[in-house]
Amino acid sequence: MAKELKPPKDPDEPDLLPAMGLFTILIPMLLSMTAFQKLAIVEVTLPERSMMNMTNDAPPEPDQQALNLSLAITPEYLVIGARGGFQPNVYFKEMWTFRCKSDSKLITYSPEEVKAAVDAGHGPKCQDGQEMDKEKYLYEIETIELWALEKTSEEDPGRVRWALYSSQGENVPDSAFVNGNNEFIAMTGEGPGGLKAPAGLKKPGAGTALATLTPNSARKLKPEDAAKNIIYPLSAYDLIAKDLIAIHTQFIDLEDVDNIIVVANDDTQFDKIISLMDRAKSAGFAKVNLAKLGGG
Amino acid sequence: MARKTRKYGKDVPFSLTSMMDMMTIILVFMIKNIDAEGQLVTQAENLILPVSTSKIQPKEVSLTVVVDANYVLVDNAKIISTDEVLQQQELLLTKVDSVLQERRKAEQEHALAAGLPADEAGNIVVQIDKNIPYDAMYKVMATCGFAGYTNIAFAVMMKNGGEE
Repeated sequence: MAKELKPPKDPDEPDLLPAMGLFTILIPMLLSMTAFQKLAIVEVTLPERSMMNMTNDAPPEPDQQALNLSLAITPEYLVIGARGGFQPNVYFKEMWTFRCKSDSKLITYSPEEVKAAVDAGHGPKCQDGQEMDKEKYLYEIETIELWALEKTSEEDPGRVRWALYSSQGENVPDSAFVNGNNEFIAMTGEGPGGLKAPAGLKKPGAGTALATLTPNSARKLKPEDAAKNIIYPLSAYDLIAKDLIAIHTQFIDLEDVDNIIVVANDDTQFDKIISLMDRAKSAGFAKVNLAKLGGG
Repeated sequence: MARKTRKYGKDVPFSLTSMMDMMTIILVFMIKNIDAEGQLVTQAENLILPVSTSKIQPKEVSLTVVVDANYVLVDNAKIISTDEVLQQQELLLTKVDSVLQERRKAEQEHALAAGLPADEAGNIVVQIDKNIPYDAMYKVMATCGFAGYTNIAFAVMMKNGGEE
Protein backbone atom coordinates (compact mmCIF):
# COMPACT_ATOMS: atom_id res chain seq x y z
CA MET A 1 0.00 0.00 0.00
CA ALA A 2 1.40 3.36 -0.95
CA LYS A 3 2.33 5.54 2.01
CA GLU A 4 0.39 8.75 2.24
CA LEU A 5 2.66 11.79 2.19
CA LYS A 6 1.71 14.55 4.56
CA PRO A 7 2.19 18.12 3.34
CA PRO A 8 5.19 19.77 5.14
CA LYS A 9 4.16 21.71 8.19
CA ASP A 10 5.47 25.27 8.77
CA PRO A 11 8.16 25.05 11.48
CA ASP A 12 7.27 26.76 14.74
CA GLU A 13 9.11 30.01 15.43
CA PRO A 14 11.36 29.71 18.50
CA ASP A 15 10.21 31.71 21.49
CA LEU A 16 12.66 34.61 21.55
CA LEU A 17 11.13 36.49 24.44
CA PRO A 18 13.32 34.91 27.20
CA ALA A 19 16.44 35.61 25.13
CA MET A 20 15.29 39.21 24.66
CA GLY A 21 14.83 39.52 28.42
CA LEU A 22 18.38 38.26 28.98
CA PHE A 23 19.80 40.69 26.43
CA THR A 24 17.92 43.59 27.96
CA ILE A 25 19.58 42.85 31.32
CA LEU A 26 23.04 42.13 29.83
CA ILE A 27 23.31 45.25 27.70
CA PRO A 28 22.90 47.89 30.47
CA MET A 29 25.26 45.86 32.68
CA LEU A 30 27.95 45.70 30.00
CA LEU A 31 27.38 49.33 29.08
CA SER A 32 28.27 50.34 32.63
CA MET A 33 31.52 48.33 32.40
CA THR A 34 32.56 49.47 28.94
CA ALA A 35 35.61 51.71 28.55
CA PHE A 36 35.34 53.65 25.31
CA GLN A 37 38.57 55.58 25.89
CA LYS A 38 41.12 53.70 27.96
CA LEU A 39 43.43 55.62 30.25
CA ALA A 40 46.95 54.61 31.17
CA ILE A 41 49.79 56.16 33.14
CA VAL A 42 53.34 57.23 32.30
CA GLU A 43 55.63 57.04 35.31
CA VAL A 44 58.31 59.61 35.93
CA THR A 45 61.29 59.26 38.22
CA LEU A 46 61.68 61.91 40.86
CA PRO A 47 64.40 62.16 43.53
CA GLU A 48 63.40 61.18 47.09
CA ARG A 49 62.43 64.01 49.43
CA SER A 50 65.78 63.98 51.17
CA MET A 51 67.39 64.60 47.81
CA MET A 52 64.91 67.25 46.68
CA ASN A 53 66.80 70.50 46.47
CA MET A 54 64.78 73.70 46.36
CA THR A 55 67.81 75.95 46.82
CA ASN A 56 70.30 77.12 44.23
CA ASP A 57 73.19 74.97 45.45
CA ALA A 58 75.52 73.71 42.74
CA PRO A 59 74.69 70.17 41.55
CA PRO A 60 77.23 67.39 42.29
CA GLU A 61 79.97 66.66 39.77
CA PRO A 62 78.82 64.21 37.06
CA ASP A 63 80.25 60.69 36.99
CA GLN A 64 82.76 60.53 34.12
CA GLN A 65 82.08 56.83 33.49
CA ALA A 66 78.33 57.32 33.22
CA LEU A 67 76.43 57.94 30.01
CA ASN A 68 74.55 60.99 31.39
CA LEU A 69 72.09 60.90 28.53
CA SER A 70 69.77 63.83 27.94
CA LEU A 71 67.18 64.62 25.30
CA ALA A 72 66.45 68.31 24.80
CA ILE A 73 63.62 69.94 22.93
CA THR A 74 63.72 73.58 21.82
CA PRO A 75 61.20 75.40 19.58
CA GLU A 76 63.32 74.47 16.53
CA TYR A 77 65.09 71.21 17.13
CA LEU A 78 65.57 68.06 19.18
CA VAL A 79 69.03 67.06 20.32
CA ILE A 80 70.55 64.14 22.22
CA GLY A 81 73.42 64.85 24.60
CA ALA A 82 75.72 62.43 26.40
CA ARG A 83 78.96 62.83 28.36
CA GLY A 84 79.06 66.57 27.68
CA GLY A 85 78.75 66.18 23.89
CA PHE A 86 75.78 66.49 21.53
CA GLN A 87 74.58 64.67 18.46
CA PRO A 88 73.57 66.76 15.40
CA ASN A 89 70.35 68.72 15.88
CA VAL A 90 67.18 67.20 14.47
CA TYR A 91 65.38 70.25 13.10
CA PHE A 92 61.60 70.24 12.77
CA LYS A 93 58.61 72.22 11.61
CA GLU A 94 55.76 72.12 14.12
CA MET A 95 52.33 71.36 12.69
CA TRP A 96 48.95 71.10 14.40
CA THR A 97 46.39 68.62 13.11
CA PHE A 98 42.85 69.55 14.12
CA ARG A 99 39.74 67.41 14.06
CA CYS A 100 36.94 69.80 13.28
CA LYS A 101 33.70 69.44 15.22
CA SER A 102 31.68 70.58 12.20
CA ASP A 103 32.74 67.86 9.72
CA SER A 104 34.83 65.47 11.92
CA LYS A 105 37.63 65.68 9.35
CA LEU A 106 41.32 66.29 9.94
CA ILE A 107 43.10 69.43 8.78
CA THR A 108 46.72 70.45 9.40
CA TYR A 109 48.07 73.97 9.94
CA SER A 110 51.32 75.42 11.20
CA PRO A 111 51.06 77.40 14.48
CA GLU A 112 51.98 80.54 12.49
CA GLU A 113 48.98 80.05 10.16
CA VAL A 114 46.69 79.53 13.15
CA LYS A 115 48.06 82.61 14.91
CA ALA A 116 47.60 84.74 11.76
CA ALA A 117 43.97 83.60 11.45
CA VAL A 118 43.26 84.28 15.15
CA ASP A 119 44.95 87.71 14.98
CA ALA A 120 42.68 88.53 12.02
CA GLY A 121 39.67 87.69 14.21
CA HIS A 122 38.93 84.24 12.77
CA GLY A 123 39.35 80.66 13.92
CA PRO A 124 41.24 78.15 11.75
CA LYS A 125 39.09 76.91 8.84
CA CYS A 126 37.81 73.36 8.52
CA GLN A 127 37.62 71.41 5.26
CA ASP A 128 33.91 72.23 4.94
CA GLY A 129 34.67 75.96 5.14
CA GLN A 130 33.36 76.36 8.71
CA GLU A 131 35.57 78.17 11.20
CA MET A 132 36.65 76.70 14.53
CA ASP A 133 35.94 78.67 17.69
CA LYS A 134 38.79 81.18 17.92
CA GLU A 135 38.76 80.92 21.74
CA LYS A 136 38.66 77.12 21.98
CA TYR A 137 40.46 75.93 18.85
CA LEU A 138 43.24 74.46 21.01
CA TYR A 139 40.77 71.81 22.23
CA GLU A 140 40.32 70.64 18.64
CA ILE A 141 44.01 69.81 18.18
CA GLU A 142 44.26 66.07 17.72
CA THR A 143 48.02 65.77 17.28
CA ILE A 144 51.01 68.06 17.48
CA GLU A 145 53.36 66.87 14.75
CA LEU A 146 57.03 67.68 14.35
CA TRP A 147 57.96 67.34 10.67
CA ALA A 148 61.69 66.65 10.24
CA LEU A 149 63.56 69.24 8.17
CA GLU A 150 66.60 68.83 5.93
CA LYS A 151 68.87 71.82 6.55
CA THR A 152 72.16 72.70 4.89
CA SER A 153 73.05 75.50 7.34
CA GLU A 154 71.70 77.29 10.42
CA GLU A 155 70.23 80.03 8.22
CA ASP A 156 68.59 77.59 5.80
CA PRO A 157 64.81 77.50 6.52
CA GLY A 158 64.94 73.80 5.61
CA ARG A 159 62.81 71.46 3.56
CA VAL A 160 60.44 68.83 4.87
CA ARG A 161 61.53 65.18 4.62
CA TRP A 162 58.91 62.67 3.55
CA ALA A 163 58.84 58.99 4.44
CA LEU A 164 56.89 55.80 4.01
CA TYR A 165 54.44 55.12 6.85
CA SER A 166 51.91 52.47 7.67
CA SER A 167 48.44 53.87 8.28
CA GLN A 168 45.20 52.82 9.91
CA GLY A 169 43.23 55.16 7.65
CA GLU A 170 42.36 58.86 7.17
CA ASN A 171 45.93 59.46 5.91
CA VAL A 172 47.13 59.35 9.55
CA PRO A 173 50.68 57.96 9.91
CA ASP A 174 51.30 55.06 12.25
CA SER A 175 54.82 53.56 12.06
CA ALA A 176 57.69 54.67 9.81
CA PHE A 177 59.27 51.93 7.72
CA VAL A 178 63.01 51.28 7.54
CA ASN A 179 64.90 49.27 4.93
CA GLY A 180 67.44 46.48 5.40
CA ASN A 181 70.13 49.02 6.40
CA ASN A 182 67.89 50.37 9.18
CA GLU A 183 67.43 53.64 7.26
CA PHE A 184 64.10 55.39 6.85
CA ILE A 185 62.61 55.13 3.37
CA ALA A 186 62.63 58.91 3.03
CA MET A 187 63.33 61.77 0.61
CA THR A 188 63.32 65.55 0.79
CA GLY A 189 60.06 67.12 -0.35
CA GLU A 190 59.52 69.25 -3.46
CA GLY A 191 58.35 72.85 -3.87
CA PRO A 192 58.76 75.70 -1.37
CA GLY A 193 59.79 74.33 2.02
CA GLY A 194 59.59 70.79 0.66
CA LEU A 195 55.87 70.77 1.47
CA LYS A 196 55.00 68.66 -1.60
CA ALA A 197 55.61 64.91 -1.43
CA PRO A 198 58.61 63.95 -3.63
CA ALA A 199 57.59 62.22 -6.85
CA GLY A 200 60.62 59.93 -6.52
CA LEU A 201 59.39 58.39 -3.28
CA LYS A 202 57.11 55.55 -4.32
CA LYS A 203 55.05 53.23 -2.16
CA PRO A 204 56.58 49.73 -2.37
CA GLY A 205 54.37 46.97 -3.66
CA ALA A 206 53.30 43.73 -2.03
CA GLY A 207 56.13 41.30 -1.27
CA THR A 208 58.70 44.00 -0.40
CA ALA A 209 60.59 43.25 2.84
CA LEU A 210 60.28 46.12 5.32
CA ALA A 211 60.57 46.74 9.05
CA THR A 212 59.58 49.38 11.57
CA LEU A 213 61.54 50.58 14.62
CA THR A 214 59.83 47.91 16.74
CA PRO A 215 62.11 44.88 17.38
CA ASN A 216 61.47 41.80 15.19
CA SER A 217 59.05 43.72 12.97
CA ALA A 218 60.65 42.77 9.62
CA ARG A 219 58.07 41.29 7.27
CA LYS A 220 57.05 41.04 3.66
CA LEU A 221 54.24 43.42 2.77
CA LYS A 222 50.89 41.77 2.18
CA PRO A 223 48.82 43.22 -0.69
CA GLU A 224 46.17 44.61 1.69
CA ASP A 225 48.86 46.24 3.90
CA ALA A 226 50.79 47.65 0.93
CA ALA A 227 47.64 49.47 -0.21
CA LYS A 228 47.22 51.10 3.20
CA ASN A 229 50.75 52.61 3.34
CA ILE A 230 51.11 56.35 2.89
CA ILE A 231 53.80 58.89 2.06
CA TYR A 232 53.81 61.40 4.92
CA PRO A 233 56.27 63.95 6.37
CA LEU A 234 58.89 62.14 8.45
CA SER A 235 58.45 62.78 12.17
CA ALA A 236 61.36 64.21 14.15
CA TYR A 237 60.18 61.96 16.98
CA ASP A 238 60.89 58.90 14.79
CA LEU A 239 64.40 60.16 13.94
CA ILE A 240 65.11 60.62 17.65
CA ALA A 241 63.58 57.24 18.52
CA LYS A 242 65.95 55.51 16.06
CA ASP A 243 68.99 57.26 17.61
CA LEU A 244 67.84 56.41 21.15
CA ILE A 245 67.47 52.72 20.27
CA ALA A 246 70.99 52.72 18.80
CA ILE A 247 72.45 54.43 21.90
CA HIS A 248 70.71 52.07 24.31
CA THR A 249 72.00 49.04 22.39
CA GLN A 250 75.55 50.41 22.13
CA PHE A 251 75.95 51.31 25.82
CA ILE A 252 74.00 48.43 27.32
CA ASP A 253 76.84 47.60 29.76
CA LEU A 254 76.87 51.00 31.46
CA GLU A 255 75.27 51.34 34.88
CA ASP A 256 73.05 54.29 33.96
CA VAL A 257 72.01 52.96 30.54
CA ASP A 258 68.34 52.99 31.53
CA ASN A 259 68.38 56.64 32.62
CA ILE A 260 67.52 59.63 30.49
CA ILE A 261 66.72 63.24 31.29
CA VAL A 262 64.16 65.01 29.09
CA VAL A 263 65.00 68.70 29.00
CA ALA A 264 62.59 71.35 27.74
CA ASN A 265 61.98 75.07 27.97
CA ASP A 266 59.09 76.70 29.82
CA ASP A 267 56.59 77.00 26.97
CA THR A 268 56.90 73.47 25.55
CA GLN A 269 53.46 71.84 25.46
CA PHE A 270 52.93 68.83 27.73
CA ASP A 271 51.94 66.75 24.68
CA LYS A 272 55.51 67.00 23.33
CA ILE A 273 56.99 65.93 26.67
CA ILE A 274 54.79 62.82 26.74
CA SER A 275 55.71 62.02 23.11
CA LEU A 276 59.42 62.22 23.98
CA MET A 277 58.94 60.13 27.13
CA ASP A 278 57.11 57.54 25.03
CA ARG A 279 59.99 57.29 22.56
CA ALA A 280 62.55 57.09 25.37
CA LYS A 281 60.65 54.33 27.20
CA SER A 282 60.16 52.39 23.95
CA ALA A 283 63.91 52.57 23.33
CA GLY A 284 64.58 50.95 26.72
CA PHE A 285 65.12 53.98 28.96
CA ALA A 286 62.94 52.96 31.90
CA LYS A 287 63.91 55.80 34.21
CA VAL A 288 62.87 59.11 32.70
CA ASN A 289 63.69 62.27 34.61
CA LEU A 290 62.65 65.79 33.70
CA ALA A 291 64.62 69.03 33.78
CA LYS A 292 64.32 72.58 32.53
CA LEU A 293 66.41 73.94 29.70
CA GLY A 294 69.02 76.33 31.08
CA GLY A 295 68.85 74.89 34.62
CA GLY A 296 65.98 74.66 37.10
CA MET B 1 -15.49 62.76 4.98
CA ALA B 2 -14.99 59.65 6.98
CA ARG B 3 -11.36 58.75 7.56
CA LYS B 4 -10.21 55.53 5.97
CA THR B 5 -8.88 53.09 8.47
CA ARG B 6 -6.24 50.61 7.44
CA LYS B 7 -7.28 47.05 7.91
CA TYR B 8 -4.88 44.62 9.55
CA GLY B 9 -5.08 40.87 9.66
CA LYS B 10 -6.34 39.45 12.88
CA ASP B 11 -3.20 37.61 14.08
CA VAL B 12 -0.12 39.54 12.98
CA PRO B 13 2.77 38.08 15.07
CA PHE B 14 5.30 40.53 16.52
CA SER B 15 8.62 39.53 14.91
CA LEU B 16 11.50 39.62 17.36
CA THR B 17 14.09 38.28 14.91
CA SER B 18 15.29 41.70 13.70
CA MET B 19 15.42 42.94 17.28
CA MET B 20 17.48 39.88 18.23
CA ASP B 21 19.93 40.64 15.40
CA MET B 22 20.38 44.17 16.67
CA MET B 23 20.82 43.04 20.27
CA THR B 24 23.41 40.44 19.22
CA ILE B 25 25.47 43.08 17.41
CA ILE B 26 25.31 45.41 20.41
CA LEU B 27 26.21 42.58 22.77
CA VAL B 28 29.27 41.56 20.73
CA PHE B 29 30.42 45.20 20.56
CA MET B 30 30.01 45.58 24.33
CA ILE B 31 31.89 42.37 25.13
CA LYS B 32 34.74 43.53 22.88
CA ASN B 33 35.03 46.84 24.74
CA ILE B 34 34.43 45.54 28.24
CA ASP B 35 36.97 46.45 30.89
CA ALA B 36 36.49 43.82 33.56
CA GLU B 37 39.18 45.31 35.85
CA GLY B 38 37.47 48.69 36.00
CA GLN B 39 39.14 52.07 35.72
CA LEU B 40 41.15 53.32 38.66
CA VAL B 41 41.71 56.64 36.93
CA THR B 42 38.89 58.61 35.40
CA GLN B 43 39.48 61.55 33.13
CA ALA B 44 38.78 64.95 34.66
CA GLU B 45 36.49 67.43 32.93
CA ASN B 46 37.71 70.41 30.90
CA LEU B 47 40.93 68.86 29.74
CA ILE B 48 42.30 66.74 26.93
CA LEU B 49 44.94 64.24 27.95
CA PRO B 50 47.86 63.52 25.63
CA VAL B 51 47.87 60.26 23.68
CA SER B 52 50.59 57.76 24.59
CA THR B 53 51.75 54.30 23.64
CA SER B 54 51.92 53.40 27.36
CA LYS B 55 49.72 50.51 28.45
CA ILE B 56 50.61 50.67 32.14
CA GLN B 57 47.53 50.68 34.34
CA PRO B 58 47.57 52.20 37.84
CA LYS B 59 47.70 49.50 40.51
CA GLU B 60 45.77 51.36 43.18
CA VAL B 61 43.60 54.42 43.65
CA SER B 62 45.83 57.44 44.26
CA LEU B 63 45.43 61.10 45.01
CA THR B 64 44.80 63.01 41.78
CA VAL B 65 46.04 66.45 40.83
CA VAL B 66 44.47 68.02 37.76
CA VAL B 67 45.98 70.88 35.77
CA ASP B 68 43.61 72.31 33.15
CA ALA B 69 43.70 75.59 31.28
CA ASN B 70 42.08 77.43 34.23
CA TYR B 71 42.93 75.78 37.54
CA VAL B 72 45.08 73.37 39.48
CA LEU B 73 42.77 71.01 41.39
CA VAL B 74 43.60 68.53 44.13
CA ASP B 75 40.91 65.85 44.44
CA ASN B 76 38.49 68.05 42.46
CA ALA B 77 38.98 71.08 44.74
CA LYS B 78 40.24 74.23 43.00
CA ILE B 79 43.45 75.34 44.70
CA ILE B 80 45.11 77.93 42.46
CA SER B 81 44.60 79.34 38.97
CA THR B 82 46.90 78.09 36.22
CA ASP B 83 47.73 81.70 35.29
CA GLU B 84 49.02 82.29 38.83
CA VAL B 85 51.18 79.19 38.54
CA LEU B 86 52.69 80.44 35.29
CA GLN B 87 53.29 83.94 36.63
CA GLN B 88 55.09 82.99 39.83
CA GLN B 89 58.87 82.64 39.75
CA GLU B 90 59.28 80.14 42.58
CA LEU B 91 59.19 76.43 41.88
CA LEU B 92 57.12 75.59 44.97
CA LEU B 93 53.36 76.23 44.77
CA THR B 94 52.70 76.96 48.45
CA LYS B 95 48.89 76.62 48.30
CA VAL B 96 49.10 73.27 46.55
CA ASP B 97 51.93 72.18 48.84
CA SER B 98 49.95 72.85 52.03
CA VAL B 99 46.99 70.79 50.73
CA LEU B 100 49.28 67.96 49.65
CA GLN B 101 51.18 67.99 52.96
CA GLU B 102 47.84 67.64 54.79
CA ARG B 103 46.82 64.73 52.58
CA ARG B 104 50.19 63.07 52.96
CA LYS B 105 50.01 63.39 56.74
CA ALA B 106 46.53 61.88 56.77
CA GLU B 107 47.73 59.02 54.54
CA GLN B 108 50.66 58.34 56.86
CA GLU B 109 48.43 58.33 59.94
CA HIS B 110 46.05 55.98 58.20
CA ALA B 111 48.96 53.68 57.25
CA LEU B 112 50.27 53.67 60.85
CA ALA B 113 46.80 52.85 62.18
CA ALA B 114 46.59 49.97 59.74
CA GLY B 115 50.03 48.71 60.74
CA LEU B 116 51.56 49.52 57.35
CA PRO B 117 54.89 51.30 56.74
CA ALA B 118 54.24 55.05 56.74
CA ASP B 119 57.56 56.28 55.41
CA GLU B 120 57.14 54.95 51.87
CA ALA B 121 56.98 57.45 49.00
CA GLY B 122 53.46 58.67 48.25
CA ASN B 123 51.72 57.84 44.97
CA ILE B 124 50.04 60.54 42.97
CA VAL B 125 48.43 60.69 39.54
CA VAL B 126 48.72 64.01 37.70
CA GLN B 127 46.27 64.77 34.90
CA ILE B 128 47.53 67.61 32.73
CA ASP B 129 45.89 69.10 29.64
CA LYS B 130 48.07 68.37 26.62
CA ASN B 131 48.43 72.08 25.78
CA ILE B 132 49.63 73.15 29.24
CA PRO B 133 53.16 74.63 29.14
CA TYR B 134 56.03 72.66 30.65
CA ASP B 135 56.62 75.43 33.22
CA ALA B 136 53.28 74.74 34.95
CA MET B 137 53.76 71.00 34.76
CA TYR B 138 57.27 71.22 36.21
CA LYS B 139 56.15 73.37 39.16
CA VAL B 140 53.27 71.02 39.96
CA MET B 141 55.57 68.01 39.72
CA ALA B 142 58.22 69.60 41.95
CA THR B 143 55.56 70.56 44.50
CA CYS B 144 54.22 66.99 44.57
CA GLY B 145 57.76 65.71 45.13
CA PHE B 146 58.40 68.21 47.90
CA ALA B 147 55.19 67.18 49.68
CA GLY B 148 56.39 63.56 49.71
CA TYR B 149 54.58 62.31 46.63
CA THR B 150 57.62 61.14 44.71
CA ASN B 151 55.92 58.30 42.81
CA ILE B 152 54.41 60.51 40.14
CA ALA B 153 52.45 59.17 37.20
CA PHE B 154 50.96 61.22 34.37
CA ALA B 155 47.56 60.12 33.13
CA VAL B 156 47.41 59.63 29.36
CA MET B 157 44.99 58.27 26.79
CA MET B 158 46.02 54.99 25.21
CA LYS B 159 46.88 55.19 21.52
CA ASN B 160 44.14 53.68 19.31
CA GLY B 161 42.01 53.13 22.42
CA GLY B 162 44.49 50.54 23.67
CA GLU B 163 44.06 48.26 20.69
CA GLU B 164 47.04 46.74 18.89
